[in-house]
Amino acid sequence: MSALRRHLPAVLVLGIPLAWIVLFMLLPYGILATYSFWLKKYPTFVPAFQFGNYLTLFTDPQYVLVLLRTIKISLLVCLASLLLAYPFAWFLVYRCRSAQIRTWLYMAVIAPLWISYLLRAYIWKTILGTEGVLNSFLIWAGIIETPSSIFLYNQFSMVVTLTYIFIPFMVMPIYTALEKIPANLNEASADLGLGPWRSFWRVTVPLSMPGVAAGFTLTFCLSFGDFVAPFLVGGPDGNLIANVITTQFGSALNWPLGSALSVVMLVVVLGVVSLGDRVERRSAAGGF
Amino acid sequence: MTIARTAGISTAILATLLSSVAHAEGTLNLLTWEGYADPSYVTQFEQETGCKVNATYVGSNDDFAPKLMAGGGVFDLITPSLDTTKLMIDLDLVEPVDTAKITAWGDLYPTLTSLDAIQKDGQIYGVPYTWGGIVLMYRTDAFTTPPESIADLWNPDLKGKVSIWDDKSSIYLAARKNGDMNIYSLSDEQIAAAQQALVEQKPLVRKYWATAGELVDLYKSGEIVISNTWAGNQASILKRAGIDMTEFVPKEGAEGWVDIWMVVKDTPNLDCAYKYLNMQLSPLGQCAIANINTASVANPVAAKSCMSPEQFVELHQDDPGYLERLMVWQSLGDRYEAYANAWNAVKAQ
Repeated sequence: MSALRRHLPAVLVLGIPLAWIVLFMLLPYGILATYSFWLKKYPTFVPAFQFGNYLTLFTDPQYVLVLLRTIKISLLVCLASLLLAYPFAWFLVYRCRSAQIRTWLYMAVIAPLWISYLLRAYIWKTILGTEGVLNSFLIWAGIIETPSSIFLYNQFSMVVTLTYIFIPFMVMPIYTALEKIPANLNEASADLGLGPWRSFWRVTVPLSMPGVAAGFTLTFCLSFGDFVAPFLVGGPDGNLIANVITTQFGSALNWPLGSALSVVMLVVVLGVVSLGDRVERRSAAGGF
Repeated sequence: MTIARTAGISTAILATLLSSVAHAEGTLNLLTWEGYADPSYVTQFEQETGCKVNATYVGSNDDFAPKLMAGGGVFDLITPSLDTTKLMIDLDLVEPVDTAKITAWGDLYPTLTSLDAIQKDGQIYGVPYTWGGIVLMYRTDAFTTPPESIADLWNPDLKGKVSIWDDKSSIYLAARKNGDMNIYSLSDEQIAAAQQALVEQKPLVRKYWATAGELVDLYKSGEIVISNTWAGNQASILKRAGIDMTEFVPKEGAEGWVDIWMVVKDTPNLDCAYKYLNMQLSPLGQCAIANINTASVANPVAAKSCMSPEQFVELHQDDPGYLERLMVWQSLGDRYEAYANAWNAVKAQ
């Protein structure tokens, strides 16, 4: 009893995270991996050990097609987020003189995270729709004569919506990385004769790479697993990998195939995470 | 000691929590569609019978199996549609219904009580409740010559103005367009042809609709002019919103859906469950649901007694031939996967 009491802090400190990892990570992933070898058999599925589900994923073109499309959309979202987030974060850190305005602008990016994801996606429907805000504006401005249907229910609207939803995850790490760069490094670079443009490319950008890598990883992984945007603003060509998984666990009642897809997805995400991690560490070590 | 006691207490709390969500005597837990446990009749039912009613709502027929398979034994009654009933029986999730205890059983449409998908080994497993056609509809102001065929959903002039239901039933639709009328027993070649037709249709499709509300929104926001629909349901909502819609049964025929009450296996609330089923088939339940969901009902005798003559005709309750002409959903059994897979392949393109 007293031994237990003596070791209690250690047991708790180690035990809680360990139990957490086992219960909420290893166990679910283990179950998922196990299911992925099972066999679909009407009405449900039966235990087995076979690679048929994985084989289906790589031989039936529909799965490769959706996987590639999902990667494409996620990369486009990352790119759009980066192009918008970097200048914004840079402006906040280097050009925004008033600390108060900086806080407000930073909060403006973070605040949408407090609003329901669904609501934010819905808003884009009303903006991009045929009779939506954007079309009304373009007609009012005389740019187009009849409402255009090219803004909604396609991959473009999915990229716009996902970029809007996930951009805080790009801004935050880049802002943090830029803020950590000592001001005297840019001054030193200027003293050594580099213009502001070259200083930016040779000092600021390399030193902010850890932030970019972190932002890229977060944004990619979040978009990669999204299934609401295709449902709300995606068109007939908008099915993403997470939608296919939902179908396999739902209407198709093919949990083995759904699990195999999830495992493949997990591998892609882990690949991206470790790549991001490597870039982060290498650039942090100054070897970029 | 303290740890042991805390653990004991937590277990006790956990057990209490779990038991409160599990079966409770006298409390019916329904897993059903919105409207199927509407306060307009549930309150009266609770007062008259002393049975309490809790409802959990599903968004699609796909929700029944996963929710029941996850275990827990929480639910007493479920209402899958006819394409899912056979699966429930084959999964051994539901128990046979004693039709002698259903007062109105003899009044129901024979077409519905004799459905294959609610039977197994000579026993009845489901009580038909509501039904309707899956027909086509269009914005009346968008057409000068009224469409009359499924082929109109493939009309290139309507590019970007078409929507169809995001469901395996689109295979039924495309098969009939191809002239394959045996929609519930299609061969692999016929399914492949239907898949091909749907892929060709994709450039015309604005969006595949997933929920009734979504279809209504697509019309309201001017995105589409023609689609398939659950007869009566979305068109009546749109008419109330001031959009003039025309529904029609295409010349290739229409499918029919039926929602079925089923009793979850080993429910301890059989008594309350049968009381609920009987109430649902009475004029109180039948007319309430006809008004709430604009659906036709399974008991024409009750419908006659509580509907206005206009509504009776509007919901096709006056004409048993209408129901018989519908190609009412059938169980696809182990062919289900081939259909679902073809539809997924269309969406993947």
